[in-house]
Amino acid sequence: MTSTAFDKNMSAIAFAEAGEHDTARQILGKTTQKQSSKSPAPPAKSKPYLKTIIFGTMSISAYVLLFTNEKLVTEIFTMGGWRWVYPVGAAFFFSFIHGAFASNLLSSLGLEAKK
Amino acid sequence: MKKLLIILMFALAPLSLPAHSALAAGDGPSKDMLKGIITQVNAAERTIVFQKDDTKELVTLVMNEKMQPEEMKTNQKVLINLDKHAAAANTMKDISIMFIDMSLSKLIALLVIGAVGGLLSGFIGSGGAFVMTPAMMSLGVPGAVAVASNMCHKFPKAMVGAYKRWKYGQADIKLGLVMATTAVVGVQIGIKIQKYILNQFGGAGSNLYISAVFMVVLVFVGGYVFYDAWKLAKGGGKETVSKLAVRMQKINLPPMMHFKTAKVTISAWITIPVGLLTGMLAATIAVGGFIGVPGMIYVIGASAVVASATELIIAFVMGAWGSVQWGLSGLIDIRLALLLLATSLIGVQLGALGTTYVKDYIIKVVMATTMLIVAISRGAKIPGYLIDLDLMSPIQESTITLLEAISFWSLVAALGSAALIIIVAMVKGMTADSRSKKAVLGTSNG
Repeated sequence: MTSTAFDKNMSAIAFAEAGEHDTARQILGKTTQKQSSKSPAPPAKSKPYLKTIIFGTMSISAYVLLFTNEKLVTEIFTMGGWRWVYPVGAAFFFSFIHGAFASNLLSSLGLEAKK
Repeated sequence: MKKLLIILMFALAPLSLPAHSALAAGDGPSKDMLKGIITQVNAAERTIVFQKDDTKELVTLVMNEKMQPEEMKTNQKVLINLDKHAAAANTMKDISIMFIDMSLSKLIALLVIGAVGGLLSGFIGSGGAFVMTPAMMSLGVPGAVAVASNMCHKFPKAMVGAYKRWKYGQADIKLGLVMATTAVVGVQIGIKIQKYILNQFGGAGSNLYISAVFMVVLVFVGGYVFYDAWKLAKGGGKETVSKLAVRMQKINLPPMMHFKTAKVTISAWITIPVGLLTGMLAATIAVGGFIGVPGMIYVIGASAVVASATELIIAFVMGAWGSVQWGLSGLIDIRLALLLLATSLIGVQLGALGTTYVKDYIIKVVMATTMLIVAISRGAKIPGYLIDLDLMSPIQESTITLLEAISFWSLVAALGSAALIIIVAMVKGMTADSRSKKAVLGTSNG
């Protein structure tokens, strides 16, 4: 049977009331130790605001650059043949910078995977 | 690691294959399509001078009786389909402007479908393609460009999603690559079948075949996944390996393959057919995931979480391969691909992290709901194809319009309801998680 943190706290209190301070401390010590190792995201972890801004700026600039040169880009990217490298390469490039932005954005918003 | 690299090389080898003409998902466009610029319009003779994009060769094309000389825009990239059955040679069947003008409403529409498609993809491993291509076409994008641009947005999205879910310990890279390799072969077989049907029964016959396959697969597989999910929900959500998968795993036919993340050891002779079928279906209905994920769950014996994560690896390999094929023909409108990516890269990561908060059967619920509603959408199109084939007497114009509307809106409903289930399940999971964390902290502090 596993005892919960509540059970342990209660038994520690019982020992403390009975004058067995050392045992009480021992029980509490174990509990806190166990919890700290179990504890999910460390609270000190800061949110990646700076990274979000950096990747966000990079991503937006890339989008602006592409859309202001729309005609030229669509022309070159659809020439066919070996030029398949352009659209596929661009898709890779955007997925890295914009993907990194999206990942940091979600972390900044406090949306993290369950640990 | 070495083994993984060898599998990866095998999976990417088909990328070097030359472009084939094809109809659907994984392959390139039809050979009867011309891409280039109209340099001159001769209104009196009803002809145009057309410069082919690839060879720069000039050809004279004849307008069909419905076309107006004023409609022929010069100095703009266009796609032209030739009418092979017309009396005069080089008669055009249809002409479409390759790049749509990007208005604000179109831009917003692309961003919204990108976000929802991404969310679904991150959560169930596939989704989006069945709605993105028709949605782009309804914005005025020519069919071939819509398919190509969707493909080009699919593989980076799948890559980001697969990476995230691999980090969460859900994606089985080996299983993904083995499935992807066989699926690429399956696509080729699927295309051969499609071509045979097209030659035998024409365009309407081919459409009917696609819709029929779509309906049968979605109703049966979707129905079974739904039944399974319902059973799990009633039984407290504890997932067990299907009886079929247990039986399959017992077949000791070498070479045996072990998949670490999926926690499965199974003969390659079982894995290969599942991959082939995924590819064949991808070539037919453009959504291979609808057979790949259930296949991995019920035949191979992976959990829904692992199967949906692994599907993203398959989608990445197949999407990259398809993008190269379409890129070789120069049909990718990168603006469309990148606008879809702008929101779908956020959506896919949100969907991926959502899977860490929900019970396994929720993935099945979302998958089944999407499949069943999409089946309605396809079903609504069948009467139209039957009429084209003279297998059904014509019905009123208004009924056809109604069926078209049902078909479109059920796609929207499929996406909307799936997104809603995901978000609700995720929020519930997150709230429960933060409450339990607070409770733990509370007891340790108090």
